[in-house]
Amino acid sequence: MDNGSRIPASGSRQVAEVQAPARPPQHEKYPWPEKSRLLGTRVSRIDGPMKVSGRAKYSYDIVRPGMLYGRILRSPHAHARLKSIDASAAEKAPGVKALLITIKPGEKVMFPGEEIGALAAATEQQAADALRMIKVEWEVLPALANVEQAMRPEAPQVFTPANTRRGTAQEDGDLAAGFKSAAFTVEGTYSTQVQTHTSLETHGCVCEWNGDNLTAWVSTQAVHGTREGFAQGLKIPQANVRVITEFMGGGFGSKFGPDMQGLLCARLAKAANAPVKLMLDRKEEHLATGNRPSAFAKVKAGVSADGKLTAFDATTWGTGGAGAGSDYPLPYIYVFPNRRRMHTDVYINSGQQRAMRAPGHPQGCFVTEVLMDELADQVRMDPMEFRLKNLPPLAPNAMWAKYFPMGAERINWKSRHVTGDPTPGPIKRGLGCSANRWGGAGTGARAHCEIASDGSVVMRCGTQDIGTGNRTIMAMVVAETLGLEVPQITIELGDSHHPFAPGSGGSTTAAAVMPAMRVTAGKARDALFERIAPQLGVAATEINIGVGEVHVVSPSTPDSSASGQTASRSGQAPILRRVAWRDACKMLGTVPVSVDGQWERGLSAGGTSGVQFAEVEVDIETGITKVKKIVCVQDCGLVVDLKTAETQCHGGIISGVNYGVFEERILDRNTANMVNPNMEWYHMAGQSDIPEIDVVLVDTPERGVIGIGEPPAVATAAAVANAIRNATGVTLRNIPITPDKLLTELERAGGTN
Amino acid sequence: MKTFSYVNATNEKEAVAALSPSTRDGHGDALAAARSGHQPSKVPIAGGMDLLGLMKDYIVSPDRVVSIKGLDQTIASGDGGLRIGAAVKIADLAEHAAARKMYPALVTAAEGVGTPQIRNMGTVGGNIMQRPRCWYFRNEEFNCLKKGGSRCFAVDGENQFHAIFGDGPCHIVHPSSLAVPVIAYGGRFRVAGPNGAREIDAGEFFQMPNANLYGENVLQPNEIVTHVILPAPGQRSASYEVRFKQSHDWPLAAASVNLVMSGSTVKSARIVMGAVAPIPWRVQAAERMLAGKTITEGVATDVANAAVAGARPMTGNQYKIQIARTAVKRAVLAAGRA
Repeated sequence: MDNGSRIPASGSRQVAEVQAPARPPQHEKYPWPEKSRLLGTRVSRIDGPMKVSGRAKYSYDIVRPGMLYGRILRSPHAHARLKSIDASAAEKAPGVKALLITIKPGEKVMFPGEEIGALAAATEQQAADALRMIKVEWEVLPALANVEQAMRPEAPQVFTPANTRRGTAQEDGDLAAGFKSAAFTVEGTYSTQVQTHTSLETHGCVCEWNGDNLTAWVSTQAVHGTREGFAQGLKIPQANVRVITEFMGGGFGSKFGPDMQGLLCARLAKAANAPVKLMLDRKEEHLATGNRPSAFAKVKAGVSADGKLTAFDATTWGTGGAGAGSDYPLPYIYVFPNRRRMHTDVYINSGQQRAMRAPGHPQGCFVTEVLMDELADQVRMDPMEFRLKNLPPLAPNAMWAKYFPMGAERINWKSRHVTGDPTPGPIKRGLGCSANRWGGAGTGARAHCEIASDGSVVMRCGTQDIGTGNRTIMAMVVAETLGLEVPQITIELGDSHHPFAPGSGGSTTAAAVMPAMRVTAGKARDALFERIAPQLGVAATEINIGVGEVHVVSPSTPDSSASGQTASRSGQAPILRRVAWRDACKMLGTVPVSVDGQWERGLSAGGTSGVQFAEVEVDIETGITKVKKIVCVQDCGLVVDLKTAETQCHGGIISGVNYGVFEERILDRNTANMVNPNMEWYHMAGQSDIPEIDVVLVDTPERGVIGIGEPPAVATAAAVANAIRNATGVTLRNIPITPDKLLTELERAGGTN
Repeated sequence: MKTFSYVNATNEKEAVAALSPSTRDGHGDALAAARSGHQPSKVPIAGGMDLLGLMKDYIVSPDRVVSIKGLDQTIASGDGGLRIGAAVKIADLAEHAAARKMYPALVTAAEGVGTPQIRNMGTVGGNIMQRPRCWYFRNEEFNCLKKGGSRCFAVDGENQFHAIFGDGPCHIVHPSSLAVPVIAYGGRFRVAGPNGAREIDAGEFFQMPNANLYGENVLQPNEIVTHVILPAPGQRSASYEVRFKQSHDWPLAAASVNLVMSGSTVKSARIVMGAVAPIPWRVQAAERMLAGKTITEGVATDVANAAVAGARPMTGNQYKIQIARTAVKRAVLAAGRA
């Protein structure tokens, strides 16, 4: 980064893909039950009624006594040096209680929306009005609005040491031999756009100081990580910081710390000696809170006459904005025995990228999967058969060869015509397919469980529910383990005062937290049995969990292990006496069961696979694509809640349709200012644009729990692109597939009328 | 948004008085200022669907907002047509039995506006008076021609949703969906102002940027549209809109067709395109081509080709010609089937 720039040279710390053994050995003491009562059933979100009735309080909804409203002052320019700044009028404006300027004359801004100051006022309106009274003078500098501009040899050097950063070549096999054995080759340049996270709840927080202690209600994917971020950013002990996120309206990888707005909010609250709410607006979200980098790939690939991939050679580039990377996995999934790839990061004057729902994978998937269809056409093979011929061998984390035929059945792949719908009329129908993979392992979550004498069960864990249903599946595991029903379990989460759990990124949450739930609830159950055994007049090993009751069982149970109460034993031994749950708990007296537990090996794994199929209708007279149906075949190990797992797939697929057809951050090529920082021209599917979604969740309980937040978002855009190609006969190597691109290609092919 | 005062006008007179410059302002100065790129300091509000966004984005910052939502909200029959109060909600228009029977092109357009929430709040007058959606006009960072700046950023910028007709210097497309069929039906606007009421042919109401850069029509800041007056429609009429998204989006192009028939032969036609020019774009050459014809796929295609013949696309919106062509063709065919 050049002299005077104030932003770090690489992207913020990110949670990415986490791998683990695909099939772990079973946990000895608290394995998942062989026959589940609740796990794998459809349970509605326990917080659903609160959310739809507005009783759930998000960070946005927090109101504190005497609370002020903060707004951030941002750069209107893509690249500029500060000449002067005068905030004296704003400081005296009605209602203004605190004002911070974080830029000095001579310093530079590197993207539109970069934070340069903030203020807090008694009302939102006063804050917005006062912000406009700050007089800022800039020396506007040459800016780079897109990768083409940045990569021109004559481009002004905006970034130091250069506008581009070339990676090292990755090479495997013998590329020349690979191309020599190819009967056909395909060459093309593929590209994907910049997509912003567009979480419905924007970034932001409410900060309140009590002496040296800060309480922050933050819209975050990581309450503990955000506590650490506040402590580091404000140079105060972590012990002085409490972060609360009871409900959260989406982050998709963009919310792992306090960010600049959180630190500014805390500083404003300190300066004003009053709580401050600082939530960003939609425009700020688009400009400054992360995005999925663009990806470009100039590819040459070869295939043998009998349909085996032989070679893959790619030069790739992309932009993650001002000084941030843009790499992505390529080629994706399929086996190219000989391959080479060289990636270059290109920097432009736009907001930096952050992890976004399966970082890198949708890009790599799109490039590879469209190429696969083109190669299949070269060898005149059905695209699915062609894929089956070039997949890695079947493994627990590589099940595509099994899933493709399952999906084909559901989408009626037999009805697929070869490339180009021969049906007369403007509406062309097409089918396409693609595959995805992801890690989704997790570790490290801790929890605390209490069982009180009235039978209440409280489970506390410093994880967060970012809208995925975490709260619900936690309650399901605890209820399953204690023989109770979901409403009997109180889950407390989203508070850094609770035992540590990692941030919710990389689809790691379920795999990190569910084992902690199982182990901690299991330990609580054991502790309960130890406590009540004397009153029941039996050994703890002779007590078991029933449904809503505990059982005293025959001591001669054959599979008694050293510690006794394994879940699998439940119900097998002859029951000598039944004691209702409440009556059993009453024996605890005033001292509740209170135990700590944590993630342990043997209850979770990593590595998911899935396939998706798309059916589209394209109106070739208008270039409008209607995605009719998506079939999703996806695994995630042990399915905890079938319903929330399916809705994770729904959300991922909708975001994939958006990526393939609608969403695009559009920067004005002359100023690098975003022209569509809203939800009007930043197109996202509405109700009528969302296809029928058919999810087949493959339950593989023997693998343990694996995350599912990201995998279903990966393959949709590629499947849609391939279906459009199948419908229209024209190849679009660039998403989103908008009417202008489609009509231009159709016209080139002579086919609009 | 800037702090403002609020006046609730209960009749036209009050509304016009509240929108007129006070004697202290110096009569006429405010009007002159509005013509030179300064936004009027007093503006009417009905549903607020457009105005509130403009104010929140500091595109307009009035001192006074005058509510006219209490003005005539009825739809009445007369002279073989309908007289629609400007304060009628778009949703109510779309559901009005007589409107549905007589003016299918208008009802189709009304049903396509925004979202149910916008149709429930937004008014007929507001739809006609709304400001352009051009992203350079709507983003504060761009001091564009229409806001008194020195250049249209769309010319060598991002113009995929801009005009394919008109010579500039501003390249907006007019955002009103309802104005397109209103012109096709030969409608008029009743306008109330300081000198009483007058009626203006809807086809004469909108102005190109070279005639009025800072506004989009002939209204003075202290005039309001009170009614849309529609004459008896032709025997057949239809609208067709092409939208990128099916939920909540603006048309990429739209067309309304109104046909006076003699048996199965078209006696005369009106064809108006929307979202292609700074004003609703009537294409008389295409209308003449339709006269005396029976509607077939071939005729519709020829008419559609004629409708877009004069298009002059910008650097990134050539594709809109094909979309406009399709909209006209399908509107003609739909009217033929109606």
